[in-house]
Amino acid sequence: MISQKKWRLFLPLLFILSLVFAACGDTATTAPTTTAAGAATTSAVGAVTTNVAGTTTSAVGAVTTVAAANNGPKTELTMSIWAGVDEAKEFQAIIDNINTKATTYHITVQSSPQEYWTKVQTALASGTASDLMWVDQDHISGLADKGSLLDITDMVKGDKAHPAANLDDYFQGPLDAASYKSKMYGLPWLDQPLVLYVNTDMFKAAGVSNPTADWTWDDFLKAAQKLTVDASGKTADQPGFDPKTTKQWGFSDNGTDWPPTQMYIWQAGGVTISPDLKTSPIDSPEAVKAEQWYADLSLKYHISPTPTQVKDQGFDSMFTAGKVAMFVGGAADSLETRDNMKGAAQAFLVPKGPAGNRQTIASVDFTSINAKTQHKDAAYAALADITDGIQHWKVPAPRKSLSTKDAIQKAQPKRPAGSIDTILAALPDGKAPPTYPGYAQWGDVWSNQFIDPLFRGKDTAANIAKKARPLLEDTLPK
Amino acid sequence: MAGDPLGDYLPTFIRYIVAGVAVFALTVGVFYLFRKVFHWRREAAIGLALITPWFTGFLIFSAFPILASFVLSFTDYNLQQAPNFIGTKNYEQLFTKDINFWPSLRLTLLYAVISVPLSVFFSLMLAILLNQKLRLIGVYRVIYYLPSIVPAVAVVLLWRWIFNPDVGLLNTVLSPIFTLIGQTPPDWFGDESWVLPAFIIMSLWTALGNNMVILLGSRKGLSVDLYEAADLDGASGFTKFVKITIPLMTPALFFLVVVEFSSAMQLSTPAFFARATPAAGRFMNVLIYNYGFEQARMGYATALAVILFLILLGATIIIFRSQSSLVYYEGQQG
Repeated sequence: MISQKKWRLFLPLLFILSLVFAACGDTATTAPTTTAAGAATTSAVGAVTTNVAGTTTSAVGAVTTVAAANNGPKTELTMSIWAGVDEAKEFQAIIDNINTKATTYHITVQSSPQEYWTKVQTALASGTASDLMWVDQDHISGLADKGSLLDITDMVKGDKAHPAANLDDYFQGPLDAASYKSKMYGLPWLDQPLVLYVNTDMFKAAGVSNPTADWTWDDFLKAAQKLTVDASGKTADQPGFDPKTTKQWGFSDNGTDWPPTQMYIWQAGGVTISPDLKTSPIDSPEAVKAEQWYADLSLKYHISPTPTQVKDQGFDSMFTAGKVAMFVGGAADSLETRDNMKGAAQAFLVPKGPAGNRQTIASVDFTSINAKTQHKDAAYAALADITDGIQHWKVPAPRKSLSTKDAIQKAQPKRPAGSIDTILAALPDGKAPPTYPGYAQWGDVWSNQFIDPLFRGKDTAANIAKKARPLLEDTLPK
Repeated sequence: MAGDPLGDYLPTFIRYIVAGVAVFALTVGVFYLFRKVFHWRREAAIGLALITPWFTGFLIFSAFPILASFVLSFTDYNLQQAPNFIGTKNYEQLFTKDINFWPSLRLTLLYAVISVPLSVFFSLMLAILLNQKLRLIGVYRVIYYLPSIVPAVAVVLLWRWIFNPDVGLLNTVLSPIFTLIGQTPPDWFGDESWVLPAFIIMSLWTALGNNMVILLGSRKGLSVDLYEAADLDGASGFTKFVKITIPLMTPALFFLVVVEFSSAMQLSTPAFFARATPAAGRFMNVLIYNYGFEQARMGYATALAVILFLILLGATIIIFRSQSSLVYYEGQQG
């Protein structure tokens, strides 16, 4: 039997323990935090949002407001993005503009350019993830499958106010990429195909004509050889050329799958994963032809720096520094307008492959809502506003009305007209790779068991592909 | 980007204060509980109270995660959904189907087994060397210690340049030798057969400084009487080294072997930043990260972590068992 005196000692202990647990607990509240002015969160977004901005400006499009209720508190929302320093600054300007105009919510942005996915997945696991987040095509289906993203299908359907919610204005490819099992899990804000950035000054100096719409792989290779120069001034197509002393390269791949090998396989008529996700025929004759040709660019023709040189000297920086004449990059990268670009440059269409097409991997990015957000309606209103804002900033947007020469020129005034023509012409060739929950496993085998030995010349593409195929197929959905 | 950074931080700051006060109160509470309720001796109650903050931290941040890892290794936990129990499936897949597991285990074990003895041996030699009475010996000691205080990422970047196959310092120095034998200098991080030597060389450079300080301290603590007695008996320098220095320094050497082995088996930062070809295998910690975070297969990754833990535990037990025959504790003789 514990005496009364002992009980008196136990009670303070109990109090202390409760303090410890309180201190260790999560202070994230379920009630919306608020800022100065604005309206309380509304329950039906479609019914209460109005587009006050009307036609969109060059920086930010329509912003949700609640005309009748401007005096209540704003819902605090957080958003995760992967932007680097400069990109984050530009994005913050868009968010500032949206925050100024919005009366129902206020957004705080957190950028994590390093280890973004690790942070997002850890935050989702611990229940501390942001209300809104950028998601790419590789991760959207996996996150949707695990129930981490909010199904916005009905919200978008019921929204007649936001331009970014008008699905008829979108290209079908990015919309498909935003869907998983017929439900929509994000609004796409970027649908960029790949283009060939060309240093036209280097072309001119080497006496090589600029790429044309009819360029084939062979034309590309011939030009790249003439633009690859060693220390003695010999080009890669001349006898006596010494690849060990190359001082200028015609092209640059990084030996770790950029530009993506998949696009060359498509251009040769092959596929990496069959449409039914059952096979991975990377050892088909078409695929092997592309794989070997691509690997030979550096291994046999020496027109590209070694992977170590690329790692040590920077990838796109070798192009902007005038050491590399051609570089495959995203249409939004806008390398030709960078301040440190040495010489004149312009974006051209990538060359056609043996199958007669010039398909490239389209990079599609989305903004999605955390399924566990406490502020679904405010988050959706913000999503629609932010998406419109980004679509007026990033080029090319996945919307038909914004994929015009004028709209792109307005968003990126410094870009040469020729580059904008190229971007518009490249749009139909952009194709999203097949992804599914668990795609990261396929990607791991692809990188380590196929790409790495291929670009280090350990064996022929045919032999490596034959060995890698069953390993890849082991990771496909059963 | 937040509007009011100070205001935003206030709840966190308050939590820190509350946590600190709570831990202090818990410590005091433990003392009173064991002193007044259970009538422990004052010294015992104070001792227990003083280890309470550490013990609380150990329970929350070490014991619980270790236990949770064991449990999660038998599940399909994917970071976002509730884990489902799947029995020993993760372990079966690791041992029988995973193409990365055995190369990873091989690389990690080889690295630990080769780098630890080399590191301890060279550290001992360096400590003996820096124990000499030379002019500017303090400067030499600082110079050899400096690599230990360079951040791991900076070390890797430096060594990436040293190991660069085209313009790197090492290949520039070695190229005449390789030319002589008709070989091309190695692509250290790009060729799977050179990845392990590259990591071992890099680890030696960083480990020598720290280990040298520990061994130098141990060497300086040895009694001069023993050496004087050996001199009187006509012992040579080598005999004194083998018969006096080494045996008396075995406790410090033993400590280094235990710590270095554990650290080598858990190599991560240099492995992440060196960006070596995966053909040589991936270090186990890198593989755990790849599986757990990049592929969101946390249950599977924890199974791998458990295997690493068991290997470390087994190796540590073996090393500790060898103490009685290999390590000489002067205080225990008698």
